[in-house]
Amino acid sequence: MAATTGSSISMRSRLATSRISGVKLASLSSQGRSSLSFQLRPLPSRLQISCAAKPETVDKVCKIVKKQLALPEDSVVAGDSKFAELGADSLDTVEIVMGLEEEFGISVEEDSAQTIATVQDAADLIEKLIENNGA
Amino acid sequence: MFSFLGRRVNFEMNLCCFQRNFSAALPSLVPVSLPSKKETHLWYVLPDEVNSETLLNQYLEILSPYEKESIYRKHGHQLKKSALLARALVRATIARYQTNCQINPRSLKFRKNIYGKPEVDWQNDDDWCPPPLHFNISHTSSLVACGVTVDVPIGIDVEEKQRRIKNNILAFAKRYFSHEELQLLASIADPEIQHQEFIKLWTLKVGQEAYVKALGRGFSAAPFKTFTIWTRVETTVNFQHFEALDSEASEIVVESSDDPENLTNNWKFALLDLAGSHYAAICVEKDNSIGGETNAPMSLAVWKTIPFVEDERVSGTGAVVAISGSVKQF
Repeated sequence: MAATTGSSISMRSRLATSRISGVKLASLSSQGRSSLSFQLRPLPSRLQISCAAKPETVDKVCKIVKKQLALPEDSVVAGDSKFAELGADSLDTVEIVMGLEEEFGISVEEDSAQTIATVQDAADLIEKLIENNGA
Repeated sequence: MFSFLGRRVNFEMNLCCFQRNFSAALPSLVPVSLPSKKETHLWYVLPDEVNSETLLNQYLEILSPYEKESIYRKHGHQLKKSALLARALVRATIARYQTNCQINPRSLKFRKNIYGKPEVDWQNDDDWCPPPLHFNISHTSSLVACGVTVDVPIGIDVEEKQRRIKNNILAFAKRYFSHEELQLLASIADPEIQHQEFIKLWTLKVGQEAYVKALGRGFSAAPFKTFTIWTRVETTVNFQHFEALDSEASEIVVESSDDPENLTNNWKFALLDLAGSHYAAICVEKDNSIGGETNAPMSLAVWKTIPFVEDERVSGTGAVVAISGSVKQF
């Protein structure tokens, strides 16, 4: 890719005037020596923020996990605990999901269940499903 | 006990000066011939038989930093130990299937394929063709297993026979198994037998599900409920009927309600009673390039092993009992 100084200055100044965070250079091709053509495609301006689940939800999940895995009462299970590290195998994970479904009155699709790696993931999914139920 | 797991820095400092080609402390690996195209090899370790701290430290030494980290993060001795043995078994086993040169198990690199299934990332030298090995590991806290094939993909799953579930079996089956499987389980009066059948079904389903996902083929997106695992038994008058997973010399069939083409016919399944304590499910893709392959039994060799220390060929002994699926042990 070749760019002459003149073109790159003009490119820079174009970037400077447009809001850099909102645009993305989609393609850059040079036609001839001095012209660059490119497209500016705006990214979605609304940032998607996912809200973390309520602490009470996380606590309930921790309790169900501890029970399923028969962990000692004093063992540390928190939002960032990974199921695999706690010793949950596939059967445990499925049983945990069943326990969560019962506790929260939700229904978890198998492909959603596959995405759960931590306690926090489970709590977030639960709240999302509860919200969807209510909507 | 298990102080080796606490001394993260120490053993690294002590052993790094001994590194040449091999970890000098470990005995060299006894080579094994590659499976032929029609064969499946299964290796397993019983963690209860491996208690030497020195040996466990040596196993740790052949792992990658990433693997070590992953093991440290596990909670509790048993989890760490079985995870460690799983990695050591894979590395030692693959390294034994040599072609021309000796492979250092420590030098093996692994990656995941696009479906998330682990595979060997062979570091290619100029003249060397990597063996077309496929492998899959599965473990519980009391048994670690590695299946190996050549040319065709393999998936395995092991589960403890005595493994209890917290939920009621039928409630579980209603939620996760197919209607036919639920009916089958519900028809069993004896709770112990019902439990056994449940674990067998689960083992096969998980082994097969993971396998199918790994391949990204067939009904890879199908939840457990959409397929049923049957044993098909042919009587002498060619009348086929379906029974619980208890018949020997029978074929395991997977019926998918979502998959009319029934792509599952490309796979062979076997369910074994392994070491008296576990059910093991093995799924291997059929190699249709071999003549007469379609209905041939799964040709299986099994070793009980302690990596770098000893092997015992146990196929055909009481340690390996085929429960269903067509298996020929050798």
